[in-house]
Amino acid sequence: MEPGTGGDVVLVAEGLAKRYGDREVVSDVSFRLRRGEVFGFLGPNGAGKTTTIRMLVGLVRPTRGRVLIEGFDVRRRFEDALRHVGCIVETPDLYRFLTGRENLEHFARMLGDGAEGRIDSLAALVRMEGRLDEPVGTYSLGMRQRIGIAQALLGDPTVLLLDEPANGLDPAGIREMRELIRHLAEERGLAVFVSSHLLSEVERTCDRVAIVHRGKTLAEGSLDELTGGGARSLEELFLERTGGETV
Amino acid sequence: MSASFPALLLRLVRNETLKVLKRRRFRVVLAVLAALLSLVVFAQARQQAAAQREGRGSDWRASAERRATQMERRAGSPRIPPAFARYLKYEAGRLRYHLEKGIDPNARTGPAFCLGFAGLGSVLFLPLLVAVVASDLVSSETSEGTMKLLLTRPVARWKVLLGKLVAMGLFTTLTVAASAALSWGLAGFAFGWRGWGAPVLTGFQLGSGGSLDVSAARAVPLWQDAIVSYGLAWYSALAVGCVTVLLSVVFRSAAAALGTMMATLVSGTILSRVAADWEAARWFFVTALPLPDYYAGLPTPVPGMSLAFCAAILAGWAAAATALAFVLFVRRDVTG
Ligand SMILES: Nc1ncnc2c1ncn2[C@@H]1O[C@H](COP(=O)(O)OP(=O)(O)O)[C@@H](O)[C@H]1O
Ligand SMILES: [Mg+2]
Repeated sequence: MEPGTGGDVVLVAEGLAKRYGDREVVSDVSFRLRRGEVFGFLGPNGAGKTTTIRMLVGLVRPTRGRVLIEGFDVRRRFEDALRHVGCIVETPDLYRFLTGRENLEHFARMLGDGAEGRIDSLAALVRMEGRLDEPVGTYSLGMRQRIGIAQALLGDPTVLLLDEPANGLDPAGIREMRELIRHLAEERGLAVFVSSHLLSEVERTCDRVAIVHRGKTLAEGSLDELTGGGARSLEELFLERTGGETV
Repeated sequence: MSASFPALLLRLVRNETLKVLKRRRFRVVLAVLAALLSLVVFAQARQQAAAQREGRGSDWRASAERRATQMERRAGSPRIPPAFARYLKYEAGRLRYHLEKGIDPNARTGPAFCLGFAGLGSVLFLPLLVAVVASDLVSSETSEGTMKLLLTRPVARWKVLLGKLVAMGLFTTLTVAASAALSWGLAGFAFGWRGWGAPVLTGFQLGSGGSLDVSAARAVPLWQDAIVSYGLAWYSALAVGCVTVLLSVVFRSAAAALGTMMATLVSGTILSRVAADWEAARWFFVTALPLPDYYAGLPTPVPGMSLAFCAAILAGWAAAATALAFVLFVRRDVTG
């Protein structure tokens, strides 16, 4: 175990930075993710949320900083770290020429450990059991999002990373997604990381929040702490911290 | 800890195989193979029928004699480029040796067609079919966005790529096996399915000065020659597969990877014909592809290339391409 990751903390991001060419799109992102909480990663479009998530799961190599998941460094102990993670990065892309079930079987085979046995119960959890044997190409975005979450949960992870899960969903879909996220954190004890550019969504779904702006995390804390027990709105805080730019 | 590495690799290969089959790429390969072979068999059957109507072809000795004489005369002409003159002399010598041993060099039977296709196919056709499957393996995951799922599972990147390479090897093997079976099966309808035991002459070598050296030539049963030839065709097809996987890692689009491979194969083939004396051409993997022809001692476009040299060239290209593919695949950022 690496130091400083004991107890409730399941994921540590430390001073993450990413440079593409001569442009630093993420310059200083740090936060901690704890078991059983829904953590909102709030920032406007282009703030560097997706790039951060790509670094969290090892898709992109950070220029600086490191990520620990359950104490394992993602760069040095990739397999041990990623065994505890499920994620949807940007869009829930699946094999469109395979059915939902075939997709889940495909990713379950990458895990071994009896993951295939969890397919039916996970399909029921995301309420996709009726459409599981249809090709993913015929699914709506919301359905792909749900199969994507089932896929992410196949390995029985302790960390779930979702990149703007409300994007492209209708109001009913957004509400269902919110309920599912709360369920996973409260009933199953998962640490759920949710990135979003929607203040209201974060306020409704999350326990703790980090505000990210121009590639930097500006504030991290519970909704209560950040808003001074409701003395000011998250929006006011956001405007104050980002110098008046809107979300 | 999860199960052992061989068990994991087996599951990864199963995934890759499933995806290739479900994408219907391999079905296209088989369909194209069957269509092309039918066409060639049909054309050859027509040719044979026409020759028989004209009274030619009934006596292979007479026609071989005539062709050998023609080639020798043309080789002596000052207007013929030297590389082509060498080719003609070599081929005429080969024909004369067949006459001497009383073995028809162009016997038309199903097995003989099958044997001939090993060499014919390994120049351009088998490599193209292999590339159809191999070009898709990595680039389709990149372009369809599934790469980010594949690479965020607790399986190291090199293992993922290894699974894809094994699948490439599997489908390459199937493609070569299918071309042997289909070429025999289809040609059998026109020329008969029997004749595996017929003697064929093999092992001709290029002597010094580009002349024919028959000292190592020998007669072997056709089936034996066919096994060696398809083994060699498989070897060069695997090398093409490795280079194509590298292109598939480099390009985001399968069409770009396949297009680049096609252009390379076609221009390489043309290059080895028009610039046969260009020293550098011998280091290019496309020149080395028709291993079965080098083995049989057929006149080859670039002189002075032995079977062992070509096999080494192909192995070198395959190893370098595979190493580069692993380095790029393991190190690169997955964005977009
Ligand atoms: N591969 C890349 N190359 C160059 N710039 C990139 C790349 N990916 C993202 N960016 C830039 O980095 C910034 C942050 O992008 P992103 O992380 O997607 O933000 P968000 O998800 O918060 O909207 C954007 O300005 C984007 O244009
Ligand atoms: Mg984004």
